[in-house]
Amino acid sequence: MSRKASGLKAWVLQRATALYIGLFTLALLGVLLFDPPHGYAQWRDGFADPLIGIATLVYIVSILLHAWVGVRDVLIDYVRPLGLRVTLLALVVLGLVACGLWASQSLILVRLV
Amino acid sequence: MKFLVSRYNPDRDAKPHMQAFEVEVWRGMMLRDALLEIKRQDESFAFRHSCGEGVCGSDGVNVNGSNRLACITPVADLKAPVEIRPFPGRPIIRDLVVDMSQFYAQYKAVEPWLVREDPMPEQEILQSPAERDRLDGLYECILCGCCSTACPSFWWNPDKFHGPQALLTAWRFLADSRDQATEHRLDALEGPYRLFRCHTIMSCVEACPKGLNPTRAIGHIKQLMLEKAI
Ligand code: SF4
Ligand code: SF4
Ligand code: FES
Repeated sequence: MSRKASGLKAWVLQRATALYIGLFTLALLGVLLFDPPHGYAQWRDGFADPLIGIATLVYIVSILLHAWVGVRDVLIDYVRPLGLRVTLLALVVLGLVACGLWASQSLILVRLV
Repeated sequence: MKFLVSRYNPDRDAKPHMQAFEVEVWRGMMLRDALLEIKRQDESFAFRHSCGEGVCGSDGVNVNGSNRLACITPVADLKAPVEIRPFPGRPIIRDLVVDMSQFYAQYKAVEPWLVREDPMPEQEILQSPAERDRLDGLYECILCGCCSTACPSFWWNPDKFHGPQALLTAWRFLADSRDQATEHRLDALEGPYRLFRCHTIMSCVEACPKGLNPTRAIGHIKQLMLEKAI
């Protein structure tokens, strides 16, 4: 993120991802309440559908970006020493990327197996 | 009525402490009158005040946890013992007197004056009544500082975050039909700090003795930025 874009873009990103996360979570809850999949096979088939797969992937990325903006805000507010802040930010990025990769690989595995 | 007042003398005290005073209350007494009475009891007590009618903005203090102008705060509305402290987050000079330089620096940083690119007209620059109405709720700010010193984001970053007062002023000039520096003003507000440290906590709205709404002004700025960006 360039210095110039780090304010407005982060803010817009936070709002947009919040919207998507909200909508997807509602849809997910709806499915789980009214038409829950029975057994692993049905779960797997559900996620193997390309549309649902992509929607889920966008959901995962949204959560990661949303978490990134939020944690970055907290760190900018409360962690003043620059070295410590950079270290923590780096750790958060690593953690989030790891979560993202793990979630994506399960989505891919579902389609292969 | 019992008053607990924060005392601090930089020559003597390591940190502020509370001192109790007993003040006789009369009908219609304002907090400023009580502070004046306390000063009569102890001449070394220091606080700022001037107009006595909520216009000059010099007697902002923290009363029972909220920032108020002492001169327009009826004592009858307060719960005893009344705890009076200086504005939170500001360096204390003495007793209730704090150093507001960072607050004024943030005000200055938003260039609180009209900027014209066009040559100045012979007479005044005309505004329609509707254009003038857009400035209501913005121009009335008296720079008392009740809002910014109640804002957690300003406590953490008073050097980098403009704070509600300066952002309200920024919007006052962005909203002015006579001002021609919109792009320049918006560019100056970019980055993670100056505007975007505001997390819409709304402490500023609650604190403003003039009933102004910096949070809404900040929302308008963000929206204008978005409109100009897409
Ligand atoms: S709304 Fe923004 S400016 Fe107002 S107190 Fe909250 S963080 Fe500060
Ligand atoms: S916005 Fe209100 S609280 Fe803030 S400085 Fe102006 S008058 Fe005071
Ligand atoms: S003394 Fe002027 S605002 Fe209170």
